[in-house]
Amino acid sequence: MVRWVRVLPLLAIAASARAELTLPDFRYFRALSIDLQGRPPTRDELAAFEQSGFDLDAWIDTHLTGTAYAERLERIYMDLLRLDVGPSFQFVPPALILRRQQVMGPDGMPLYVYFRRGQRRVDPATDGDFCLTFDDTGLDFPPNAAPTGTPRPVPQKALDAKTVLVRPWWLYADYRAPVPADRIGREWAKRFPGFQPSGGLLEDALVRVCREEAQTADTGTVYVSGRPPIKKGDPLPAGRLTPPPNDSGFARAARGRAVSCLSGTGFQNSVQCGCGIGLERCLPGAGPQFDPPGFMLPTQLPIGSAQPFDAPPKGISEWPKLWWSEEARRFLDRVFLDDRDFRDVLTSRATEVNGPLAQFYRFMTGATCCGPAADAGYSEPEPLVDPGALPTALVPEDTATWLPVPDRGPHASGILTMPIFLTKYGSRRARAHVAVNAFLCKDFVADTVRLAPSTEPDLTKRPGCSTCHQTLEPLAAYFTRIAESDWTWLPAATFPMTQARCKGEKVPGYCKQLYDPVFDMLRSAYAAPSHAEQGPAGLAHELVTAPEFAPCVVQNVAQSLLGRALEPEDDPWKTSLTKIFVDGGYRMRPLVRAIVTSPKYRMGNDAR
Amino acid sequence: MRARRLVLAGRLVLAGVLALAACGASTVAPSRPVPLPAAHQVVLDTTPKERRRMLPPEVYLRAYLGWFGGLAPIDVQNRARPKGLFDAWDDYLSALGLPDYKLDLPRQGQTNTLMLATLGRLGEALCVRAAEHDLHARTPLAQRVVFAFDPVPAPSLDDFRTRFDVLHTTFLGYPLRLAPADRVAKFYALYGDVAARHRAKNPLSPDETAWAAVCTALVQHPEAELY
Repeated sequence: MVRWVRVLPLLAIAASARAELTLPDFRYFRALSIDLQGRPPTRDELAAFEQSGFDLDAWIDTHLTGTAYAERLERIYMDLLRLDVGPSFQFVPPALILRRQQVMGPDGMPLYVYFRRGQRRVDPATDGDFCLTFDDTGLDFPPNAAPTGTPRPVPQKALDAKTVLVRPWWLYADYRAPVPADRIGREWAKRFPGFQPSGGLLEDALVRVCREEAQTADTGTVYVSGRPPIKKGDPLPAGRLTPPPNDSGFARAARGRAVSCLSGTGFQNSVQCGCGIGLERCLPGAGPQFDPPGFMLPTQLPIGSAQPFDAPPKGISEWPKLWWSEEARRFLDRVFLDDRDFRDVLTSRATEVNGPLAQFYRFMTGATCCGPAADAGYSEPEPLVDPGALPTALVPEDTATWLPVPDRGPHASGILTMPIFLTKYGSRRARAHVAVNAFLCKDFVADTVRLAPSTEPDLTKRPGCSTCHQTLEPLAAYFTRIAESDWTWLPAATFPMTQARCKGEKVPGYCKQLYDPVFDMLRSAYAAPSHAEQGPAGLAHELVTAPEFAPCVVQNVAQSLLGRALEPEDDPWKTSLTKIFVDGGYRMRPLVRAIVTSPKYRMGNDAR
Repeated sequence: MRARRLVLAGRLVLAGVLALAACGASTVAPSRPVPLPAAHQVVLDTTPKERRRMLPPEVYLRAYLGWFGGLAPIDVQNRARPKGLFDAWDDYLSALGLPDYKLDLPRQGQTNTLMLATLGRLGEALCVRAAEHDLHARTPLAQRVVFAFDPVPAPSLDDFRTRFDVLHTTFLGYPLRLAPADRVAKFYALYGDVAARHRAKNPLSPDETAWAAVCTALVQHPEAELY
């Protein structure tokens, strides 16, 4: 006797089913399910669809509010913008990376000691290097490599003098408490999904760190060693494999001045700057190498971070990069889920952050600042995200909780000022190019002029180049005040458009980096200095007010949903969709609804 | 003799042509164009069309995980791996046509042989595992993930049709009654062939193996991979 436990209800439903439903009807419903639910319909859903009372319009409206719908639209813009950075961009500022050396402890057992390469120390034998010496350990510590030599027990006295024990953030959720006790345990897998330190980072309840790295001060004073500078070929000081850091021009000029420990300048020039409370300003690496393993991270997240695929150990630089990319995805999803004005993608100052991003914005963005710009007096970077706007409830381990940041600050402008965008598209021209391409559906295609040798420095005039650069250069100028391959803001108060000190033959180092001697102004600004002062928000305004903006959105969305390029025959339809989009307040829901209920969507992809 | 006749015939033709020319030339006026009579009228659909779209790999993966019983990706891998049905997701993901934003590799809009082979391999892993779970383990109907019917040994065509309809609807998204007329016969033949060639338990029975094959064929069907 056959048991039709699940099939009989379906047959019963079929009895009251709409007999007139045809194959195209089912194909249409399947297409809707794929695009709006992110998966084909189930048998139960198909059975419901066949019922006579099924309201397809209501079904569409319901599914234009879900996460699958938002993810479908997000995919369109992620495909256009490709907001993820690959291995060619390694984010390993020495100020952030706590590397780990293995030595022999006083008891003869292996002992890990964490340190920052480049950490300033008063002791010339260890300044800028690991805090324990050959004399302490019997080992040499070549840069970014495992130690060499025969280890011997580190004397307890040396260990106590040069290192301290810390309860770090990656082991204790309450690391800021006077006595942290909320230590990582089994339940953390559910509490903080995706937070999986690798390489034995979780083995010890306390970690041993070089004393200088464990310092918690927010500011230090500029340190000058007074050592004579070591030139190439000079003998190295005893016990060192690398020369100690020379006193920079900035250090000599600013000796004793206060400097922020959150900036790269503070790290490079003060012996009082460490990794902060619970080492919260640093990322742990399970080894001494350049990009040491840090976390188990998914290689790909095709269906979202909640459903990870394989997660092998990755270099520590992948940790912030993963969350930069997730920030952009979440930002796009939020615009679509809340059916906000799509122009917000470029103009909004809001975002969402989770624990790792809050930690990054609060403690780490300054690590790439300020290089030679410190010589111009810029040692405390002006943030792209105001740390005061970040939610305080998030701990660095909290990967799953995303909280809104209503206003990132005056320089923020949609995705244009997110770290993922600014590092994925490192040059100012690349940033402008991809924005124009994705949001105005225009590209820069060179004309057929034969390039001839030219000394014309102005690309808007140089024959052959001018075709594209007449348009591109003024757009690139909007990014003048954001450093290339970085997010460091170059404020007008410190970096005026032209700088008298940067004229002439012998100029400070920062002039060469930031100012274009040919045009006597900040680099990339020459084609439109006024754009430089408007910043990325100016570009956002130019893009969203361009007549091509709305038709381009329509084109991108319609092409993706139809699975084909729009043809000239589609122009009247495109025009009507553009009107629907604009009249609907630039919201996606009316646009997508108009597309998926149109005959073109319903019939256009039937096989010929 | 024959040559003389030919010469004579040629002279007669020439004489005829000259006589006609002497009578004066008459012109033949072209007739007025007249539309051809309509045999039947066809309405042309001039809207732009393309072949059906490829199922986005994200959708395929989500559907696949659902067909596997709503498991997480890592759980699918762990469940299918031990019997050599599956290697690791990383071996398959890029072949499915997913974009790689890190490397600026775009989404693939068309299938290729590697992709089809990957889809086939994934389908096989799903269907064999589902046959083990649903049919071989005699899982209660309410808990079955794919084969939501009770199988009968060596089913008749009618027995096969009703059960095949469940799989058909699951994977292709419409009931069997709307499918091409020869579909049931083709899949019934496949079922028979596979069952006949798998007489030994391996560990699935011949009928279970045949259902797994039917399932695999449906997962790999162009209608399952396009929309």
